[in-house]
Formats: sequence, structure tokens, C-alpha cells
Amino acid sequence: MSNKLRTAHNTFLAFACLLLVSWSAAQNSAPVLQMSIGAIAPDRNGTILEEAVDRAVAQGLEMVTDEFGFNAEMLNIDFAVTTEFVATAEEAVNAAERLLSEQEIHVLIGGWGGLEITRALSNWAAANRIPFINAGASADVLRGEACQLTTFHLESSDAMYLDAMAGWYVRSGFRRWFVLRIPGEWGEALHDRLDWALRERHFGARIVREREVSGIEDAAAVADRIRRDNADVVVLLVPAAEQIAWLEALEAEGITTAIAAWPDPESQSRTFMQASREAAPTLGSGQRILAFEATLDRYGAREINARYRQRFGEPMDPPAWAAYQSVKIAYEGMFFSRSSEAEAILSTWTAPNAVFDLWKGIGTSFRPWDHQMRQSMYLVKIREDEPDPFAMGILVGELPAIYLPGTDPIERLDQMGDLEDRSTCTF
Amino acid sequence: MRNRPRNPLPTRARTLALALITSMMFALAVFASAQEGQYRVYVANEFSADITVIDAATAQVIETISISGRPGEVRPRGMAVSPDGTLIYASISDFNPVLETPEDKILVIDVRTNEIINEIRAGGNPERLAISPDGTQVWAALEALAQGAGYDAATGEQLGVFRVGIESEGVAVSPDGRWAYITAEATHTVTVIDTQKLEVVTHVLVGNRPREVDFEKDGSVAYVSAEIGGSVTVIDTTTHQVIDTINLGLDSRPVEMAVDPIRPRLYVAGGGTSSVYVIDTDTREVIATVRERMGRRPWGVAITPDGSLIYTANGLSDSVSVIDAETLEVIDEIQAGRGAHSAAIGVAPQ
Repeated sequence: MSNKLRTAHNTFLAFACLLLVSWSAAQNSAPVLQMSIGAIAPDRNGTILEEAVDRAVAQGLEMVTDEFGFNAEMLNIDFAVTTEFVATAEEAVNAAERLLSEQEIHVLIGGWGGLEITRALSNWAAANRIPFINAGASADVLRGEACQLTTFHLESSDAMYLDAMAGWYVRSGFRRWFVLRIPGEWGEALHDRLDWALRERHFGARIVREREVSGIEDAAAVADRIRRDNADVVVLLVPAAEQIAWLEALEAEGITTAIAAWPDPESQSRTFMQASREAAPTLGSGQRILAFEATLDRYGAREINARYRQRFGEPMDPPAWAAYQSVKIAYEGMFFSRSSEAEAILSTWTAPNAVFDLWKGIGTSFRPWDHQMRQSMYLVKIREDEPDPFAMGILVGELPAIYLPGTDPIERLDQMGDLEDRSTCTF
Repeated sequence: MRNRPRNPLPTRARTLALALITSMMFALAVFASAQEGQYRVYVANEFSADITVIDAATAQVIETISISGRPGEVRPRGMAVSPDGTLIYASISDFNPVLETPEDKILVIDVRTNEIINEIRAGGNPERLAISPDGTQVWAALEALAQGAGYDAATGEQLGVFRVGIESEGVAVSPDGRWAYITAEATHTVTVIDTQKLEVVTHVLVGNRPREVDFEKDGSVAYVSAEIGGSVTVIDTTTHQVIDTINLGLDSRPVEMAVDPIRPRLYVAGGGTSSVYVIDTDTREVIATVRERMGRRPWGVAITPDGSLIYTANGLSDSVSVIDAETLEVIDEIQAGRGAHSAAIGVAPQ
């Protein structure tokens, strides 16, 4: 072991000893540590896709509060998770203010409900020096120009999702990419990043056509263009609801080309899978990129998936997983540092030897240049006729591969996302 | 009757030769009977729901013990050996880890007959277990309940159940029988239980995702493998405090460990790198990494009581690697069942 690493470990041991002494001596006395975590969860009362995410987040928070409350009680820690449900950025900030003033929160969790809400919370957290975990918003801008020192991203970034998409489909031989994207800055950024990924990281593939679309526009013309361009894959860089509409429309036009689609939170649920295959039995039963998968049974995931399924009677969708992990990371930031002070939490999260277990089989960590959690992702195939929601998805790929002896795990995970030289974040 | 060639030797020489040959044959027979069946290696196969029994002397599979006849539904995982080596205890659970199912139990196997002779009911998805040095107590981690429990080995009566943290797994009992250490993977702790008073003493913060725990031969320290942390934590068992952390690398993903009975060494199965890490327990440094010819994803590791051979259970190659403890080289690979999970050594009858 290097001297630096041993010094870090010895420091860690000192904290651990303090913690041990406190536990042993204070079993029947005052709590050894106070942990107050605030969560801003979505309550949009919106579409069934949005409702699925909102429900998953609430359930994930409920489960982790219960389980880590169990831990906390065992360890004589005063632990609380307070959740506020919001629909707008203004509501989110007001809720954060209440959580701070009334619950004296040490960590804030959020990121669901869109970019605007997440950016507002990230800015609020920075102004109030509260560590904030973004568990739901993938926008690269939050990791770039809008980055904050107090904000840490559990949710994978746009760049990571696009690199995952490129990785799978290019290796599968899909060389000619046809892109349909939403108008505006974000759509353009997604397209540009995908283009970069295909040019710089995954050779041999290129975007043969890019088309900006607002809703379903002239599906027949689009289908015709797809055929003329001899596209191998059609990429839908549009929101979840529009993805379903396009799948339906393209299938109706007789398109059989593979479809890859943007994995926004509303598309990472069994509800989406069901809607997708109902709308388009063939195209809608393709492959999806997910941050987590309910049928994953390795790396201890079998156990957490089973507990969730038993408790709620439905599969653990990625938003539920993210809600759970975000509270766990908050807990560990305080648990390992033996402190609920912001500086201690931030130091724990950014320590060189910090490692987190997300039930993905590999130790993960936050990238120092943008606070993005490095992690693997999953490719899941929708099963066309499976009635059981749990078995509706079948795991077909993991990126990057976990078992690759002889390679550095950090470098392996950094195959996806923007490395330091591309980062526009300045803390 | 076969025609014999004419013997050119004189009578006295023939007598002497005959005596010499007879003596050699007798010695060989004695040696053979001493080696044959001395140890048996038991390998729990998670996905084929059986236990492979290997004769250590011949490296041959001599039996496969079926656990349920329902592979993919029921699975054996952790195992422990009675102090006299004649009984193997195996934890059994199902593949859908809910709170408690009829499958959750501890099976007791007699190595003399390779038959299941007893069952101890252990609800809550038991994963690993340990036997007290006097053979009277069985301790198990009940994974689905975030608990650890102690049982009377003879009657199966539950002696106590204790909260230990989320996804409990590793279990060990100290050589003096005083302490039971149980790990909790998602809590990153080891819970220390006083086996006499049947109460929790303390919880010790260890590495990330602690899988297994083992005590040093003299009981002075305990070792805890941290799969995600890629390390082995060393705990002083007098104070129950962490005194060192041995870094194996983030990619190592260590699981089971085995303390060498005759050398100052600890062997750690590294599932992530398909290696066995050899740690000098005096210096707490890694002195060797056994990787060449290793099976894929070793989780289980065990060493014969004479310290001569190390066996690993390799879950992705469904095999057992045999390592010469002196040369630290893989000398054989034996086919086991699907999803070889853990290994234990029993002393077979002569």
C-alpha cells in the first residue's frame, strides 16, 4: 500500500475508532450523530408515464427511509428523511427552504421533475451550502456551465447515456444513424454530443440524417427518408411520450429499422415498456437503456430487487433505485465522516479513496471535475408478450462490462461520459 | 497357468528379493490408505442445487449430493465444518429472497456417508454460517431479515436473533468460542455478539460491502473482506477495533478467505480478478497473487488442515481450482456443479 493511501486509511481508522467508542458507550444515551435528509420529490399529477416515475421515487424514498432507519436505530443515530412533493421550480425552492428551517436538513436530494427544478435546487443548495444530490436530471449543462461545488450527480449524464447508446449499437454493427430530435438547445446539444461520440469514440458510424421534430410530423415522409438513407438505426432524441408516438407512427409506416431512444426518466419504467409495446408491438419491443434493472440478480441486486418487489408488489424501476441510492449516499457521507457538517460530507464524497456501492458490482465514485457518479448501465430488451411486469424486461447487456480483469476499473467506467478535458465545469 | 520364465537368481537372492518386494508393497499399501480419503472437499453449487464432494487425495469427484432436486429454485451457499471435520453444515435458501420461505434451512451432512442427517430451520434466507469451536452452536446470517441468529447445533433450537444490518452475510466464531462476528453488506459493519451472554456487544465499521469474516488461528484478530472496497479489514478481537486495512485494489472484489493452519498467511478469493491473494499476516502485505490457470470468479476458498492444498470454488467456470500451498501454483482444476459458491474441507473416515 502506498504511503498516501495508508495515511488516508489510518485517518479513516481513527474516525472508525471514534465511532466505535461512541457506539459502545452511548447505546442507551444521546444519539451519536444527527442525520436529517430532505428530499424534493415530484408530484406532477400528469401523464401515466410521469405518474409512474413519481410513484417510483416516493416508494424508493419510503423503502430506504425504513431500511436505513433500521441501521440508524441499531447504531444509535438520529436519522430522518423528510420528503416534500412539488410540481414547479418555485415550489421546489420553497420546499427546500422549509426543509432547512424546519427540519434543519444536512443533505438535500432531488432532480426529478425536469431541468428547471433541478437547476433551481442546485443553485439554492449552493447558496445555502447544503450538499445536494441530483438523482434524476441528466442534462449535461448541470455538469458543465451550471455546475455547483455542492451538487453531486447520481443520475447519469446525457453524455454517459449517449456513449452507452453508441457503444452498444455501433458494436452491434449499426453504422448509419438517423436522428430525430427535439428542437431547441437541449436537442441540439444531444445531437452534437452523439455526433462527437460516433466520430471520436466509436469509429465507423455516422449520423446520416438529423431532423428536428416537434411532435409527430409527417411520419410518412420521415419513414420514406429513413429508407432512402438506408439507416441502420433510428435514434429518437425526444421525450418519452413522443417516443411512443413515433414508435407507433413508424411501425404503421412499415419501418422495421432498429430504434434507439433517449432514456429520460419517464422512459425508464415498466409502465413505459407496456405503453411502448402496446403502441408498436414490434418496434416498441426493442432495447432500452436503463440506469438499473429490476431483473438484475448479480452484485446483491437480487436482494434489493426482491425486497422492493415484496414491499410494493411491482418491479424496482430506475427512479426508485435512484431515490434509494441517493439517501444511502447521503447517509454514508455522514456515517463515514462521523459528522453532519457540510464540509465533512463534501470531503467524504470527494475523497480519493471514496467508493460507493450502488448494487452494480463495482465500486463507484464521483468524478472530481464535475461530481458525476461513474457507473455502469444496462441494456434491456422489452419482451413483446410477457404479461408479468417483472419479467417484461430482460437484461441483455451491461456497459461497461464489470468482469474485465487486467483493466483499471476507474478507466473502465470513464468510457462513458465527458472526461476532464471536455468538462466545462469550473467550481 | 502362465508359463514362467526360468529364474536366473539363486535361492537366497530370490528370498531376499521377495522379502524386499513384499515390504515395499506393504509400505505402499499403508501410505495409500493413509492418503486416500484423508480429506474431502465440499463445494456448494448455487445454481445446480447440489454439493460436490471431492476426494482431496485423488482430486476426483466421488459424489454429488442433491439438495432439493429443484435447481434454480433452491440454492446452497455458505458452508461450515464441525470441529472434528465429520459434519458439514450448509445454508439453504431460495432464489426469491423474501422474508421467510419453507426452503430456508441449515442442512447437516455426515461426511462418513455423505448423507443429510439433520435440518435446522433458519428462516430469512440464510447465506453463510459458522460453527462454534466446541461444536454446540451454529451461527447464521439471515440475509433477508438483516439479522444474525444462533442455534443449538444438536436440537436446532434458536438461541437468539440479533439485528446486524442490511443484507447480512459473513459469519465467524472466535477460536475461544466467545464471539460471533457477523457482517452486513449494505451497512458496511461487523456486529460482535457475545455467544455466552447472547447479546450484541458492538458494531464495527469496516470496508464497503463486507462479505466474509474469519478469525486468525490464535483468535487475536479477525479479517473481514470488503467486496466493493477491495480490501481486508483487520480487527483486534480484544478491543473489537479496526487496526488495519489491507488494500487489494478496487477491482479485486474479495469474498471468502482462508487462514493457513501452519503458515502466517491468509488466502483471499478475489472474484473480480479471478485470483487468490496471499497475505503475509505478520506484515499484512500481499506477498503473492495466484492468477495463472485460475478458474473464473473464485468466491469460495478453503485450505486442508495440513496446510498442503488450497481449493477455490469458481462460480463462472463451475469448477474448483487446486493450489499447491507451498509453490502457490494452480495444479489442477476439477469440474464442480453450476455456480460453485463456497468450499469447505471435511476429514473423511479412514
